[in-house]
Amino acid sequence: MSDPAGIYVHIPFCLTRCGYCDFNAYAGLDGLKPRYLAALLREAELAGPGWAGTSFGSVFLGGGTPTTIEPADLRALLGRLREVFDVAADAEVTIEANPDTVTEASLAAMLEAGFDRLSIGAQSFDPSVLAALERVHQPASVRAAVLAARRAGYRNVSLDLIYGARGETIESWTHTLEQTLTLSPEHLSAYALTIEPATALGRRVAAGEVPAPDPDLQADMFMRACELLHDAGYGHYEVSNWARPGFECRHNLGYWERRPYVGLGAGAHAYRDDVRWWNVRPPETYLERVEAGELPIGGSESLDPSDAYLEEVFLRLRILEGVPTSWFDEARYEPFVASGLLRDDLGRLVPTERGLLLLNELVLGLTA
Amino acid sequence: MVTDISRIRNFCIVAHIDHGKSTLADRMLELTHTVDQRLMRAQYLDRMDLERERGITIKAQAVRLLHEGHELNLIDTPGHVDFTYEVSRSLAACEGAILLVDAAQGLEAQTLANFHLARDAGLVIVPVLNKIDLPAAEPAQRAEELAHLLDREPEDILLVSAKTGEGVPELLKAVIEQVPHPEGDADARLRALIFDSAFDMYRGVITYVRVHEGTLPSNAKIRMFATGVTSDAEETGVMAPEATPVGSLGAGEVGYLVTGLKDVHQAKVGDTITLAGKLAATEPLPGYREPKPMVWSGLYPADGNDYPVLRDALDKLKLSDSALVYEPETSMALGFGFRVGFLGLLHMDIVRERLEREFGLELISTAPNVEFHVFKGDREIVVHNPAEMPPGGDHDRVEEPVVYATIITPVEYLGAVFELCQSRRGETVDMSYLTPERVEVHYVLPLAEIVFDFFDLLKSRTRGFASLDYEPWGFQEAKLVRVDILLHGEPVDAFSSVVHREKAYVYGKQMVERLKELIPRQLFDVAVQASIGSKVIARETVKAKRKDVLAKCYGGDITRKRKLLETQKKGKERMRRVGKVDVPQEAFIAALRVDEGGKRR
Repeated sequence: MSDPAGIYVHIPFCLTRCGYCDFNAYAGLDGLKPRYLAALLREAELAGPGWAGTSFGSVFLGGGTPTTIEPADLRALLGRLREVFDVAADAEVTIEANPDTVTEASLAAMLEAGFDRLSIGAQSFDPSVLAALERVHQPASVRAAVLAARRAGYRNVSLDLIYGARGETIESWTHTLEQTLTLSPEHLSAYALTIEPATALGRRVAAGEVPAPDPDLQADMFMRACELLHDAGYGHYEVSNWARPGFECRHNLGYWERRPYVGLGAGAHAYRDDVRWWNVRPPETYLERVEAGELPIGGSESLDPSDAYLEEVFLRLRILEGVPTSWFDEARYEPFVASGLLRDDLGRLVPTERGLLLLNELVLGLTA
Repeated sequence: MVTDISRIRNFCIVAHIDHGKSTLADRMLELTHTVDQRLMRAQYLDRMDLERERGITIKAQAVRLLHEGHELNLIDTPGHVDFTYEVSRSLAACEGAILLVDAAQGLEAQTLANFHLARDAGLVIVPVLNKIDLPAAEPAQRAEELAHLLDREPEDILLVSAKTGEGVPELLKAVIEQVPHPEGDADARLRALIFDSAFDMYRGVITYVRVHEGTLPSNAKIRMFATGVTSDAEETGVMAPEATPVGSLGAGEVGYLVTGLKDVHQAKVGDTITLAGKLAATEPLPGYREPKPMVWSGLYPADGNDYPVLRDALDKLKLSDSALVYEPETSMALGFGFRVGFLGLLHMDIVRERLEREFGLELISTAPNVEFHVFKGDREIVVHNPAEMPPGGDHDRVEEPVVYATIITPVEYLGAVFELCQSRRGETVDMSYLTPERVEVHYVLPLAEIVFDFFDLLKSRTRGFASLDYEPWGFQEAKLVRVDILLHGEPVDAFSSVVHREKAYVYGKQMVERLKELIPRQLFDVAVQASIGSKVIARETVKAKRKDVLAKCYGGDITRKRKLLETQKKGKERMRRVGKVDVPQEAFIAALRVDEGGKRR
């Protein structure tokens, strides 16, 4: 049996639009929800035959805010996926949650429906950082959501954090990390705030109203995270991801290990055998296409060997699995080893923590 | 048919840039019916696109006006300090000059300098105040000033408005009456002065000539004195103002000659044309001078593959620009390019602009510098590129070009002018009062100190009232040093500069501070240093880059991320490598840009 594939389902609905977010997500489109759910079920049916013979080891409901969907609908959706696709009985099934959209009851219902991994968008425990990110929730909501999840029976909880927003200091970030650790999540993602041009925040940075994040401070914050999380027993398994042993996100590892995935929903991407394709992005267009009985594909690309090679290098480096030294001339990687950005781990080049921060340079330097 | 010499008047107009010379010429064209009223347009004589855009005249032209039985040849003179020599040649073609002064603004240094040139050349001066229609005009006061300068009576000053045409008929009458007719033996051997030349795509080199002696027939076999080149000329004619062939040009006449040559370097401004063979004159007319570049700059194609394009472009441009000088050079940092000599910064701009516009080139140019003479033992080295200067004071002495500068300023700004000139290592020569309110000051100044931003500073410190002109004044010893810029210990030849010892520190500090902002962070700390020889005089550090990774890379991000990496890879390929340091093209361009204040005149 080949490596298990993943199913990604995109839920584009949000309560509000956050200033930094450039995902395919919308506030105020709730009226489309019933049609959208129906379309997801339909799309799964349309896509299913193309994936006959593929076994799936993970399902990931992302967004947007998937927890804006009622548990009953979630159950129906997962049920349909299991009917259409060959989803393993012990598959990892993740749902992303916004702290303010969950209760103990809804969480229990989601768990019961089969969503056994919960990824909570905590972002920060510093109210001023949350405000800078234009997040509507308070730190207390995160704590409440995690405790509710535990009471509901969740044994695999992940928290998302963002560092480097305006006004955040290394002390404040340390505090956020410490607060996070008191909640003992099984998994943690910590992202350096990235300013995307096509966002409200991006426009304000471009206009000079808000300073861009200081990359040096973000580097310090990254190093602090590495240190604290290591000490707390978390394994660092991707640039921005840490987990207790055995709790690495199998679904996300699939992206980085270049395993196949199917994408359902507006703008979702799919990949198999060096071909990647993606659905149309606007939810309305997506609905029209699916309701017309078509696969809502918006575009595709076929990776030539050099594309595939580049992806292989930068993705394998991201997950600290590294790449074989035999792929490169020694003159290419030796300077990086000498300067402590890469280490030669039994014939594989693996980034150090400092190297992870400079991954673009490493990839460019190795593949130039 | 050759005009009777007693009915010819050859004259030019000496004026400051905005004092209305072109408008006056327009009125003369109209009044003499030289241009049909329907075809008339403003600034008629300023032909080339480039001239029209910049509002100045760089190519002298001669126009024949027929008026009341006389042949009036109006010889246009260049109006920029870069072209002083061309001005002097135009003057040598004339017997008289209209000294045209704005009745509101009064005399400017450049006008004064050209006036001196004209008077020294023996020209009769017809003084005129223009723009008398302006509310701000002060004709009485300005007439006083001009009369004082010319040692004449204020009543001798003609008042005109080139805009309305008022006074222009009287001016033409004065030209006929006051300017002497040329003299010259029509039967002597031909001696004709080239006072301008141009290159025409179809007809080759066209020269504008003043016949001093003899007759220049059409289709003559001609010879150039300075270059010794002979050629079968194809046509003689006059500009009326369109080119109009004539059978011959007689002594005292002005016109054009289609030389049959293909390279303007064979027919240089100031040279004398005679007939080839047995009828050749034995002596040229006096005053010929090789065009001498004053300012040098390295020109490099932004894309190294364009080197052959740049070479061909310069070769082509040279055909029509007799002052353009260049030689190939190699820079460690910029690759293959040329060291190009220019008459001045304006000339440099024009050449750059033409290279970019007409040949589609993208260029990097090094900061312009003057020529230095370096002496060591009995050896003299002429340095056009600062990187060629021996480093660390390994020479006996260095000489730099100086100029004789004329500055006219209202008295109240005299202090500011002194201060500026002193700070630019100037030495006072003398000063005199034109009127109780206006002073003429003479300084000897290093060319390097005035060629870039001096004029702008002079203008801003005198609220625009002071004016400047200068002429080359030889070479003078100076305490000059070569300042090198090093990146991570590697000298960057394109950034080397020769500056006065006392200014080296400030210069070095400025450069390293600027470069610190321009050089992208690398994987290691990059020291940016300025040094004289082995001595470091300024230092900044570009701190090592610490983070460039993109935080998120999930299913929908991978394609975008890969494309971003490919873009970055291309960007890296376009960078220039200095030792271990990657420097983007833009950093070179920005670092080498003449200072903000160093805009042109």
